[in-house]
Amino acid sequence: MSADRVLQADVGIVGAGPAGMAAANVLAAAGLRVVVLDEGHRAGGQIFRQLPVGSHNAGAIAEPPSHHHGHALLATFDQSRVTLRCGASVWDARPGRLWFEQDGASWLLRCRHIVLAPGAYDRCIPFPGWTLPGVLTAGALQVMVRGFGIVPGKRAIVAGSGPLLLPTVTALLSAGVHVVAALEASSRWRALRALPGVLGNGARLSEAFWYARQLLKAGVRLRWGWTIFGCEGDGRVQRAIIGKVDRSGRPRRETAQTVDVDVVGAGFGLVPSIELGLHLGCTSRWHEGGAGHALVVDAEQRTSVENVFAAGEICGIGGAEVAMAEGHLAAHAVLHAVRGTAVPVAVRKKARRERGAADAMLRAFAPLPGLHELAQADTVVCRCEDVTLATAQAAAALYGSSLRAIKVGCRAGMGPCQARICGPSLQALAGREPTRAMDLPVVQVPLKAVRSETIVNAPPA
Amino acid sequence: MTNTRIPGLGERPPVEFTFASRSVVAQAGDSIAMALWATCDLTLRQSSRDGAPRGVLCNMGICYECLVVVDGVTVRACTTLVRAGMHVELGGKP
Ligand SMILES: Cc1cc2nc3c(=O)[nH]c(=O)nc-3n(C[C@H](O)[C@H](O)[C@H](O)COP(=O)(O)OP(=O)(O)OC[C@H]3O[C@@H](n4cnc5c(N)ncnc54)[C@H](O)[C@@H]3O)c2cc1C
Ligand code: FES
Repeated sequence: MSADRVLQADVGIVGAGPAGMAAANVLAAAGLRVVVLDEGHRAGGQIFRQLPVGSHNAGAIAEPPSHHHGHALLATFDQSRVTLRCGASVWDARPGRLWFEQDGASWLLRCRHIVLAPGAYDRCIPFPGWTLPGVLTAGALQVMVRGFGIVPGKRAIVAGSGPLLLPTVTALLSAGVHVVAALEASSRWRALRALPGVLGNGARLSEAFWYARQLLKAGVRLRWGWTIFGCEGDGRVQRAIIGKVDRSGRPRRETAQTVDVDVVGAGFGLVPSIELGLHLGCTSRWHEGGAGHALVVDAEQRTSVENVFAAGEICGIGGAEVAMAEGHLAAHAVLHAVRGTAVPVAVRKKARRERGAADAMLRAFAPLPGLHELAQADTVVCRCEDVTLATAQAAAALYGSSLRAIKVGCRAGMGPCQARICGPSLQALAGREPTRAMDLPVVQVPLKAVRSETIVNAPPA
Repeated sequence: MTNTRIPGLGERPPVEFTFASRSVVAQAGDSIAMALWATCDLTLRQSSRDGAPRGVLCNMGICYECLVVVDGVTVRACTTLVRAGMHVELGGKP
């Protein structure tokens, strides 16, 4: 009966990552009824991902020093009176209402205030052979190691751009994988632009040193200005073709070399998960670093929609420190709305400072336009609908290079991922306009592909 | 052939299910995708265009590349946990 499947709370939080947990801890301590919904199977989010119940990491998987914040946050969260619903996919929302599917059942959460903290996902750039089993996103390999304790393979290549390559390499090393090469498409000089953000921030600096030491110990050298040109194999990845790129990211084919691997992790940064926010009607902006669209929030994490707040990666890629600071701030903004208590100045300042440092990083690792030349005419660009680059380009030539036109022209982006994978590079690829800001994705209910019974049996608002 | 698990994390209770009619022993708390990765079953579905094998891409519920059929229902293998006695088949078009 659907009547049983309705929850009530003062605040509903989507996401049990650092942003969502930080917000939940403050709100629960203040005595509000808080329900946190997360699609994952335990709290922690991407960075503080926990192994399944029954397994423990007593040092087998190396963790950077900053993770003690995560342990503290999780400990408080576990002891708090927050109701956590895991394995819960939020697929529809409106102000004050969140619909989710859990264990195949359809649920509704009625809550006056909503805090959106759904994080981000890997940014993909297609290259030949990227559909072969064994070629994963960089994030996927971290989930495999840190979330499930599984060994990804014997010989790996990690390629892409941005700070996330480092935790991916250390996760692989912890699992005993031989990391044949770690390829950063940005040049060393371009990466220097991140320095202001790192130098002014002790935590980020010690984190960078920790990762550098791990790589050094294992004899893995980060190759700047290199990337993956393609993958080959019979039924699964067996070889990777790697080489140098020029300053705009264009492959220098004459430098290509082939290496034997059995697993590849590729990640070209992260894209904020803004779909729920867009569906709720929240205003978004294009991040000038080219990292995607992010929700617009005011100085205290309020979105443009009343009683809807947002924190963490959904407001722009920034990492765990920003996420925690903003989650904290969002909670105080909710308390202000409920009880009229003032938002502490220090909390606001901390969030502002962390966000500033993060933005400097983002600019240094903004997607290089030339990487869109990796895909060849027969490379699948939309994996759901199996659309090749040639087909997408023909569609763009005929109908125009807006996201909508390309979709209508060739079905790219119409599959269940709702263009989360192909969208960020589709226009650059199909319209041959590599520097163009991507159109806002068109989001549709269900925001997550849930069972049709879930939609039919959804409890009424 | 099996890929291994990282030693020293503690074993969880065994969970047996079938994949393409073959028996697989996983551990409680594994996702279907990771249980199959541990037994080197990387192909989870086939492309509708050319039948090419596809497997885990994002491992976090975003891409829908890992769709499999569990007891007649299509689910994401990376976000669905193993259950004793479940029958898992290769998925098709997402
Ligand atoms: C795979 C991966 C690995 C990362 N590793 C690192 C690292 O090592 N170091 C680092 O500094 N940063 C890392 N990051 C960056 C990371 O995004 C931030 O550090 C931080 O985790 C962001 O916190 P958050 O709370 O904003 O989001 P997240 O931690 O991403 O948490 C968001 C949560 O929301 C849930 N969610 C999203 N949508 C829905 C929905 N519709 N329904 C229900 N639940 C939903 C997700 O399951 C997730 O648990 C990583 C990112 C990824 C994607
Ligand atoms: S691997 Fe992406 S949804 Fe499962």
